[in-house]
Amino acid sequence: MLSKVKVVLALAALAFTLGAQPSAGAQDTMKHEDGMKQNDGMKHEDGMKQEDNMKHGDMMPQANSGKALETGTFHGKVHSTSGRATIYRGEDGKLILRLTNFKTSNGPDVHVILVAAKDADDDANFLKSSTKRVELGKLKGNEGDQNYEVPTGTDLTKFQTVSIYCERFNANFGAAPLEKF
Amino acid sequence: MSAHISSLLFHRKWILAVSLPLLIAAWWAFRPEKLWINQKVNEDAPFASSSAPQPLYTGRLQGEAHQTSGRATVFKAADGTQYLRLTDFSTSNGPDVHVLLGRSGDDNLKQEIVKGQLDSIELGSLKGNQGDQNYSLPVSANLQKYDAVVIYCERFHAVFGVAKLEQF
Repeated sequence: MLSKVKVVLALAALAFTLGAQPSAGAQDTMKHEDGMKQNDGMKHEDGMKQEDNMKHGDMMPQANSGKALETGTFHGKVHSTSGRATIYRGEDGKLILRLTNFKTSNGPDVHVILVAAKDADDDANFLKSSTKRVELGKLKGNEGDQNYEVPTGTDLTKFQTVSIYCERFNANFGAAPLEKF
Repeated sequence: MSAHISSLLFHRKWILAVSLPLLIAAWWAFRPEKLWINQKVNEDAPFASSSAPQPLYTGRLQGEAHQTSGRATVFKAADGTQYLRLTDFSTSNGPDVHVLLGRSGDDNLKQEIVKGQLDSIELGSLKGNQGDQNYSLPVSANLQKYDAVVIYCERFHAVFGVAKLEQF
C-alpha cells in the first residue's frame, strides 16, 4: 500500500516538473523571437492641393466577387504573432475577416475579436478597459489561413483593430490595425 | 508501530488529495502541451474566384519630399501578368514624376533628395497625381528585391513618397 502511494506521488511530481518546465523555457525562447515589423501606415492629410490636379481613374481590370475593404498586418512580440488580416465584403453584403500567412502561439481559450481602438499593445487587457469589442469566434488554428464572419451591422470605422485575444489570461497575443485597402 | 504507519499513510493521502486537483487545475489553466502542439488550418478565400486579379503585395504610401498618401498594391492577373495599382492616391503634381520600384532598405529613399544613383525599376510616368491608376510590371521584376514603390521626380531627384510592400 505504501509503495503504491509512493508511485502515485512520484508520477505526480513528474507530471508537475513536465508541466512547469515548458512554460519557463517558453519565456526564454519568446524573448529571442523577433516580432513582425509593424507598418504604421501614417495617414497624411492633403492640405496642399494644387489647382491643376490631374485626376485619374483606372478601373480594376476585373470586378471581384468579394471586395477587400480593409487590411493590416499583425504585430505582437510577446507571443510572436504575424500575418495579415483583411476584411472582405461579399456580393450578399456579408463581412468576412480573413487571416493569411498567419502565425501566433497556441494557447488556452484564444479568440478573435475586433476592438474599438486604433491599435493595441502587447498583452493589453480589454476586459478591464472600457474598450468596446466584437467577438468573432474562437481562434480556429494558431497557424494558417482562416475566415471569420463579422456580425452584420459592425461599424468598421469604429472597430479598427483585429486582436488575437486570450480570454483566460485577458492578454492580447497580437493586434492588426486595419487600414483602407 | 502499525498506528504510526497508518497515520503516515493517512498524511500522504492528504498530500495526494490536495496536490492532484491543484496539478490538474494548473494544467487546465496553462495547457503547457500547447507550446509544442500547433493547430494548422488552411481555409479557402471566402470569395474564391480565380479569374479575378489576386493581390500579392500591398503597402501604404508615406510622404517624403511632398505629401503623398494612398495604397500601392501589386496584383497578379489571371493571365499571369503583374501590375501595380495605386488607390486613394494623392501626391503633389510636379514635373517629370515617375513611378519606380526601389529597395526598401535603400538609404537613398530615406532622404528627400537622392544624391547617388537610385537602384530601381522604371514603371512609367505618373499618370495623375490623384486617383486610382494601374502600371504594368516587367515580367522580370523581382519583388523580393525591389520591395518598395517610389513616387519620384526625375528632374529634381526628389522622392515624393515611398510605400514599403508587404505580402498580402
